Amino acid sequence: MPALTADLEDFRTTVRDWCRAHIPADWRAAQTGVPDEENVAFQRWWFAQLRDAGYAVPHWPARWGGGLPVAQQAVLYQELAAHDAPRLVLAFVSIHHAAATLLEAGTEEQRSRHLPAILDGEIWVQGFSEPEAGSDLAALRTTAQRDGDRYLVNGQKLWASGATHADWCLLLARTDQAAPKRHGISYFLLDMRSPGIDVRPIQNAVGDSHFCEIFLNDVAVPTANLVGAENAGWQVAQATLGAERGLVMLELAERLGNAGFRWLTEACDQLGLLGDSLTADRLAGFETEITGLRALCLNLIERHQTGRAGPADASIVKLYYSELLQRMTGFGAEITGLPSHATLRKPASSGWESGAWMLDFIGSWEWTIPGGTSEIQRNIIAERGLGLPREAVA
Amino acid sequence: MTSRSVSDLAEVRDELHVVARDLLGKAGPGAEPGWDVLAASGWLGIEVPDEFGGADATFAEVAVIAEELGRAATRVPYLGAIVLGAGTLRAAAPGDGRAELLGQVAAGEALAVAVITGGDPAFRLTDGQGGRLRLNGEASFVPDAADASRLLVVAYPGDGVGDPVIVALNPLVPGLAITPTPLLDETRGLAEVQAGEVEVAPEEVWRFSGDPHAAVQRLRDRASVALACDSLGVAQAMLEKTVAYVKVRHQFGRPVGSFQAVKHACADMLVQIAVARELVAAAVDALTEPPEGPGAAEAAASVAASMAKSYTGTAAVDVAGKAMQLHGGVGYAREAGIHTYLKRAALNRDLFGSPIAHRARLASRYRPAAAGS
Repeated sequence: MPALTADLEDFRTTVRDWCRAHIPADWRAAQTGVPDEENVAFQRWWFAQLRDAGYAVPHWPARWGGGLPVAQQAVLYQELAAHDAPRLVLAFVSIHHAAATLLEAGTEEQRSRHLPAILDGEIWVQGFSEPEAGSDLAALRTTAQRDGDRYLVNGQKLWASGATHADWCLLLARTDQAAPKRHGISYFLLDMRSPGIDVRPIQNAVGDSHFCEIFLNDVAVPTANLVGAENAGWQVAQATLGAERGLVMLELAERLGNAGFRWLTEACDQLGLLGDSLTADRLAGFETEITGLRALCLNLIERHQTGRAGPADASIVKLYYSELLQRMTGFGAEITGLPSHATLRKPASSGWESGAWMLDFIGSWEWTIPGGTSEIQRNIIAERGLGLPREAVA
Repeated sequence: MTSRSVSDLAEVRDELHVVARDLLGKAGPGAEPGWDVLAASGWLGIEVPDEFGGADATFAEVAVIAEELGRAATRVPYLGAIVLGAGTLRAAAPGDGRAELLGQVAAGEALAVAVITGGDPAFRLTDGQGGRLRLNGEASFVPDAADASRLLVVAYPGDGVGDPVIVALNPLVPGLAITPTPLLDETRGLAEVQAGEVEVAPEEVWRFSGDPHAAVQRLRDRASVALACDSLGVAQAMLEKTVAYVKVRHQFGRPVGSFQAVKHACADMLVQIAVARELVAAAVDALTEPPEGPGAAEAAASVAASMAKSYTGTAAVDVAGKAMQLHGGVGYAREAGIHTYLKRAALNRDLFGSPIAHRARLASRYRPAAAGS
C-alpha cells in the first residue's frame, strides 16, 4: 500500500477506535425530548470530548489547536458520520464562521482573545439578516455610529440561529449612510452581554425556536471590536462566507449517506417495500446522488485547499445538498405515509435529518432558504460560474 | 503511488483532453475522422501492451477519448472496437492469434469488434457433428459490428452455465449475418449479429486470462462507463453552446441570458454536470485497476459503473433537452445540430442498460438476502 494511503488508513483506524470508545451508545434515545438546558449541556460535553481528542477544530491552523491535513479531516468526518456521533450544533458558528472571520480578517489581539475561548466553549451567533435585508443582505439598515472609542449600534437582526445561548455575535452594521450600500457596511464582534440587547426566539415551521430576533438599542461596541477597516465589512463577509462550505457540507453529506440513507432503507424494509421496483428505483437514485454529493464535497475541499476552487463551487454544493435533502425527506414522508404526519417531535439525531420524515421534510426548507436561497444560489452559479449577464445591482 | 505521480498522470490526461478536443472539434459534429488519424494519434492502442506497439496505458486514458468523442458527437467505431474490442483482447489469455490481432489493432490495421450483450448469454458454442464446434445465437444493437474486420463473440458453452469464451471470427464466414440497424442517432452504428451453425475452428476459441465471468462483467461495465463519459462530453458541449448563445441572443432589448428563468436553467445544467463528473471520475478510477475476480473490489467497481451510467445518461438527456429549449426555434431546426446531441444522449442513456436497469442492479444490494454478500 502506498505510504500516504497507509497513513490515512492508520488515522482512520485511530478515529474508529476513538469513536467506539467515546460515543455513548444510547445518546439519541437519552437526548430525545430533554429540556433545552440539558441538550445544551450535552452539546458542551460532546464538544469538550472532541476538543480533548484534537477533533473539534481540525480545520484551524496548528497554532490555534488544529492543523490536521485536509485528507485526514475528511476521514474524521466520514468516521464520525459512520458511527452516528452527535453533531456539533451549538458550536457550529463558533468553530466555522467566527473562526474563519477571525483568521481571515481579525487582529492578533482578537484572535488571541477569542480562538482559545471558543475551544473553552464560547458560543457565537451570526447577526447578518434583517427584516428588510434577506437575499439583498447589503440593504441592511442596522446602524453603528462612531462615538469616541466606541460605536453605538441600533437596529434589528433576524434569523440569528442560537442567539439565546450565544456569548458573542458576528455583526454587520451600516457605518456610512451616504456610501453605496455595499461600501458603507462594517463588521463587528458584539458581546451579547452588552446592555441594550434583547433576544426573542421565533418559532419556525417545525416548532423549534432556535431562530431569534435580536433587537439592538444603543448598544456600545468598542472600536477594538471592529474587524477589518471601517466600511470594509462587506468584503470581510464575502471573504469568509464560503470559506468553510466544503467541510461543513462534507459532514452533512456524510451524515446523509450514513444514518440518513440507512433510516430511509430501513423504513422501506419495515414496510416490505424493498422488493417493490418503484421504491427500489427511488432508493438507488438517492444512493447515487448522495455518492455524487460526497465526491463533490471532497473535491471542493481539495480545490479550496489548492486554490483552484471556482467562484460558484460552494453554491453548487449548497444548492445540490439542499434540494437532494428536500427530495429525499419528501420521499421518506411519502413512503412512511400517514404515520409520519402523526410524529410530532423529532428524535435527537446524528444527522441533520432524523428519520421523522414529515418533520424532516418541512425542516428541509431551512436549507433551501437560509444561507442564500436556492434562487440566489442559481443566480450566483449562472453569473459567476457561467458568466451570464448580471442584473443591475445598486 | 505518490501524489506527485498522480498529478503527473492528471496532467497527461489534461493534455490528452486538449489534443483530442482540438482534433475532433475541427471535424465537427457527426464527422467521421479517418481511423488512420485515430491510429496515428495513438488512441487505438492506449491499452495495448507496448510489446504489441501500444501505449500500455489505462482505461482512464480511454475514458478521456470517450468523453471527447461525445463532446464532438463524432462518428467512429471506438466503443465497439476499442472500449470493447481492445478491452476483450487485453482480457484474453496470451496466444498467437491474440498477439497478432493486438498489434494490428494498435496500428489501425484491424477493427476487432466485441459482440457482447448486456444481459443473458446470447451465443452458444456447442460440439457439432464430428467434434466440430458450432456457434449459434443472435444479438441486436451491437455497437460497430458492421464495421468489423474481426468479430470477438463472447459465447457460452451449450449448457449456458459454464465459463464464457471469446470466439474470434472473420465476419464473412458462412452462417454469420451482420445487419446494420438504421437509427435516429446518425452518429452511432449499431447492428444485428446472427450466427446460425457457424463452424468454428479450435484456434478461433480464446479463453479469458482471469476469471471469465468477472472479465465479461468488467467488459459490460467498461461499455457503461465509456457511454457515461460520452454523455458527459455531450452535456458539456450542450451547456457551452447554450451559454454562448444566451449571452448574445437579444429579446425584449436585453440578452436572454439575463432573465432569471434562463439563468436558472443554465445553473441546473451546470449542477447536473458537476455531479455527473464526480460519478464518472469515480467509476473510471474503479475500472482503471484490472479486475481481480469476483470479490468486494469488483462489486464496488460495478456499483460505481451503474451509478455513473444511470445518473449521467439521464443528465445528458436533460441538459441537451434544455439546450434545445433555450435555443428556441433555432434549436429545433436541424441546422443548429442540437438534435444530433439530443439523439446521441438518448441512445447513450439506453445502450448497455437503461438508468432503470442500472438502478435495479444497485437496489438488489438493499435486500436483506443480499446483505453481507
